[in-house]
Amino acid sequence: MARVVDEESDEGLLLPPMSEQEEWSDVVPIPQDDGRHPVCPIAYTDEYVEMTDYFRAVMAAGEVSHRAFELSGRVIDANAAHYTAWVYRKKLIIDLGLDISEELSWVTEISRRHIKNYQLWHHRGALLVLLLDPKDVEHESQDQRVQDPAIRNELQFVSTVIEKDSKNFHAWSHRQLVVRSYGIWDQEMAFVENQINEDVRNNSAWNQRYFALTANQSADEFVLSEELADREIGYAVDKIKLAPNNESPWSYIIGLLVRHAPAMLHERLLPKINELAADTDYALAVSNTPFYWSALVDIYEERAKALEGKERSDVEAFAIEACDLLAKRYDPVRAKYWEYRKQALQAAS
Amino acid sequence: MSQTLEDTGHEGLLVDRHVEYVKSLDKKHDEIEYWMTEHLRVSGVYWGAVAVHLLGRSDALDRDGIVDYILGCQNDDGGFGGHVGHDSHILYTMSAVQLLVMYDALDKVDSGKVVGYVVGLQDKATGEISGDSWGEKDTRFAFISLAILSFFDAVGEIDVAGVVRYVERSMNYDGGFGSGPGGESHAAQVFTCLAALAIAGRLDIVDRERLSGWLAERQLRSGGLNGRPQKLEDVCYSWWVLSSLKILGRTHWIDCSRLCGFILGAQDTDGGGIADRPGDVADVYHTCFGIAGLSLAGYGGYPLAEVDPVYCMPVSVIERAGLRKWVDKLPESWKQA
Repeated sequence: MARVVDEESDEGLLLPPMSEQEEWSDVVPIPQDDGRHPVCPIAYTDEYVEMTDYFRAVMAAGEVSHRAFELSGRVIDANAAHYTAWVYRKKLIIDLGLDISEELSWVTEISRRHIKNYQLWHHRGALLVLLLDPKDVEHESQDQRVQDPAIRNELQFVSTVIEKDSKNFHAWSHRQLVVRSYGIWDQEMAFVENQINEDVRNNSAWNQRYFALTANQSADEFVLSEELADREIGYAVDKIKLAPNNESPWSYIIGLLVRHAPAMLHERLLPKINELAADTDYALAVSNTPFYWSALVDIYEERAKALEGKERSDVEAFAIEACDLLAKRYDPVRAKYWEYRKQALQAAS
Repeated sequence: MSQTLEDTGHEGLLVDRHVEYVKSLDKKHDEIEYWMTEHLRVSGVYWGAVAVHLLGRSDALDRDGIVDYILGCQNDDGGFGGHVGHDSHILYTMSAVQLLVMYDALDKVDSGKVVGYVVGLQDKATGEISGDSWGEKDTRFAFISLAILSFFDAVGEIDVAGVVRYVERSMNYDGGFGSGPGGESHAAQVFTCLAALAIAGRLDIVDRERLSGWLAERQLRSGGLNGRPQKLEDVCYSWWVLSSLKILGRTHWIDCSRLCGFILGAQDTDGGGIADRPGDVADVYHTCFGIAGLSLAGYGGYPLAEVDPVYCMPVSVIERAGLRKWVDKLPESWKQA
């Protein structure tokens, strides 16, 4: 689904045409089979088309050879979204018994040009577990596992990518694969904190915080202790102070508590954010962000569920008031959403 | 500041230019993009076909040529490659089947083979669906497997409860969905998960209000939508976000008029086609999802065909295929409001 044309990938296209290379004289290239006779006035296009014509012939013959392997690399580097080339390359690596570490180094080398390509990341993941079977390190401590060269290199690779593009969806997802496959949860929170310190608005890092905190257990399996909940509330509120109008920590802490400790919303989170709203250093910024008011709606709505009678309707009235303020003043773009929330509250009371 | 379509300063939808643009794509053999996109040609044809169908010009492309071409992309394993001679992948199998349905030619394939291919991609232990024989897992493939099987009335051939469990495990604390359990919420993955649950008749597991609120949060000042917090707006999210809100029954929670203005501003007024955002180069992917987004947003300047938010195909085609039944399977409480 990503954009497929990579204009930077022009390496490997400066060789003479393959039809003039001795190495390939025994192969009859197979042109693209769509019944057309294209004219390609651009040299760049000529070379790419020739390369894929030879590659088609190699695949048709089922050739298992080093030159086929080398050619697959050139095709991929010219067009990393050519998924059939990746599939063939993987087959060649296994059939030729090639060194997987070297292959991972090659992927690292070309990754700069194809960093948002699905196949590249999938290739890495598939090869990594061939290089180091998670079962082989099961008996080791987490600290020992992190020192394994295969795991260390992989974490290093992902960190480098995230350093350049801190929200790269593939990189974060690959990092999760490594952490989950080898069970290296302990180190992950430190990585996440560094990332949030780098950019407090990085939602990918906030998502990874939840992943690390819960060790990717399902919503039913994970139990949030009171102690951990307090720690997370303190952490999120500290980060809200840095940039009150930042969706991520609000969404993180509300979502975490709604899911795992709803009673703590009112008991522990509400006093903290009210403290913030009353503190002259933060009051203005906090009371101007829709996320603060939205949090109040969530907190009071949840709180009302635990109450009855007048107590309940009083709390609901707070939530309704917050909805009104959001619709009219703090978040008018989504006025219809807040009107709906208000109606739902009114219907419940 | 509210802004209406009238004062965005854009021309209306350039229907004829877009039709010509889509028709011309198959003739650009002198451009590198033509060759570099060979592996996803089937999807390219699908995007173009959806665009012209929604523009009311379903006869703009050569039906018989497309059907013959698609049939030539099927491999022995029953799946379809992105082009003749390419390996099977579930993504292109989806596009191929969608095209055959749009051009009323599904009877030309051996349904048992396609169904067998899709069923073979499910991991029986976890319910997860792979994209190809190498086992890449993604919630996109969960949706696609159910969608393909639904066209053959064969959804019961896979472990639907297993697929639903996998989708449910990919639900996040913000109400959204990622590419798998633990993955960050992303509007395109949200669409695939909602569409999968719609076909499975299991939208009841969704946190409707939280998710709708998160999706509405994707609209930026420009009127355009982004896919995740702190990211740039992009025309393709007009589809991923709005189709999700449509399934949830909440398209009115965003400002559709401003969204239309953003999409129209990304049109190439000379060559036709729509880009990811104003000023960029048009491509068929954004042309398709821009027009589909306009249809969902209720663009009033041209009678666009209605698009089905689960299948991304004209509603008339989905009705003909007998697949609008996902609407009847919505949770009872959603049907009132």
